[in-house]
Amino acid sequence: MSRAYVASVGMTQVGEHWRKSLLDLMVEASLQAMNACPSIVPDRVIVGNMFSGAGSNQEQLGAYLASQLNLVGVPAYKVEGACGSGGAAVHNGYLSVKADESEAVLVCGVEKMKDLDVGRATAALAMADSAEYTQFVGATFISLNALTHAMYVKKHGVAKEEMAGFPVLGHRNAASARHSMFKRPITVEDVIRSPIISDPIRLMDSSPICDGAAALLIVNERKAKELGDVMVEVAASEVAANLFTIYERPDPLDYVATRAAAGRALAKAGVKIGQVDFIEVHDAFSVTAALALESMGVSGPGQAPKDVTKGRFNLDGELPINTFGGLKGRGHPVGATGVYQVAEAYLQVSGKAERNQVKGAKVGMTHNMGGVDTTTSVHILRREG
Amino acid sequence: MINPISYWRLKDRYFNLLGTKCTKCGAEWFPPARVCRKCGCQDLVDHEMPHTGRLLAHTVLKEPSEEFRSSAPYVVGLIELDNGQRLLAQVVDVDPTGLQDDTRVRLTIRKLAEDTKRGTIFYGYKFTPLP
Repeated sequence: MSRAYVASVGMTQVGEHWRKSLLDLMVEASLQAMNACPSIVPDRVIVGNMFSGAGSNQEQLGAYLASQLNLVGVPAYKVEGACGSGGAAVHNGYLSVKADESEAVLVCGVEKMKDLDVGRATAALAMADSAEYTQFVGATFISLNALTHAMYVKKHGVAKEEMAGFPVLGHRNAASARHSMFKRPITVEDVIRSPIISDPIRLMDSSPICDGAAALLIVNERKAKELGDVMVEVAASEVAANLFTIYERPDPLDYVATRAAAGRALAKAGVKIGQVDFIEVHDAFSVTAALALESMGVSGPGQAPKDVTKGRFNLDGELPINTFGGLKGRGHPVGATGVYQVAEAYLQVSGKAERNQVKGAKVGMTHNMGGVDTTTSVHILRREG
Repeated sequence: MINPISYWRLKDRYFNLLGTKCTKCGAEWFPPARVCRKCGCQDLVDHEMPHTGRLLAHTVLKEPSEEFRSSAPYVVGLIELDNGQRLLAQVVDVDPTGLQDDTRVRLTIRKLAEDTKRGTIFYGYKFTPLP
């Protein structure tokens, strides 16, 4: 069984790409990754994407991308897990290399959201949850997170100024990141005065509707050694599923899938949470960042908003999170996000993070959720040597 | 958009709040479970849920999906039925600003959405505070 390594990464800027199609974005990110390692020809193409059918009338994204890259005859397919599609796609690439079925896998995550107006994008995002019992009653994806946000605040007595620490951090880190959507730092005041979308969630608690694609080349040990660059191992890749809807769960505030995936990933990589140098956490909303960090054991119950407010998660803090802005600051092109996170973790542990570099970063963890912690993946990247 | 065929298939469930009940251990499930989450039994029968419960949490939704646009803003509540099963539903006939969690609520059948192109009106379950 080979070890799996990230050989190179590619990322389009996240934003409103009115002039670029789903295919344009995928090709741009994929060619960046492939051109960084011209000696490597992918023997498998995996695309992570949530709603290309609803958003762009396009399916078969694996073949669609492979065809443009002249990779005819290779295995090529799409992996879907709502907003967790990207992480699930990386997981599938990792498995292919670990199983010695592939030597070099191109994993591309993509989402084209801005071709839909807000009402249709909201409907498409709601497809992450039950069509028969969630979408049917008029609940949206934001409203599910609003309910957990309200329950969280009620249970722990968290101040809205503390919750606002997450978007403030996201925007601060995004401002200096090359590929991020938002370049403007914001204040706690900006967050708590922004319009309410589904109370208590405000506009500035929410990651944006946007477009983007990210790509990775995941290779086996032999290929990675041939490249002679810094060796970044995918030390663990785990996916876990939770009971499907928050109303079926005994405790809607318990991110069971996050806990399971993070626990297994840490055990397989042989590291403790305290040995992780930074975490890319799925802050689709402020509350998802808080609940995820608490479920991983990074913060005590109800403590994550206090920790972010105190600076514990800053780029120069004890445990930096969302080092390029996370979903809020970098942007959340849903099916691409999990791939962006792993690409960002690669830049950190290989020392290529430029102005966003976490000093001495060697071990990084990424956390990507589909639904409200419904399909969750955790990856651990580790630099060798 | 709500699919009229799946709506036709589910309408009796929606109007009567039909979940399932385990024939072995008696556990009740809504939305309907096919395999009992308590005992693993695969023999479950349709079972009507209680029509009353209490509000655990709620939110006033201002940015709905396309087909619910004409109803917005509206209250989406997380409701625990009297048998302990939970669901999401709109809470109606209330002033959202004064709505308190733990309020006792009961089932009411109301119009949910309308497909203006086809002229189909979709009815479904909502909840309203008990007097």
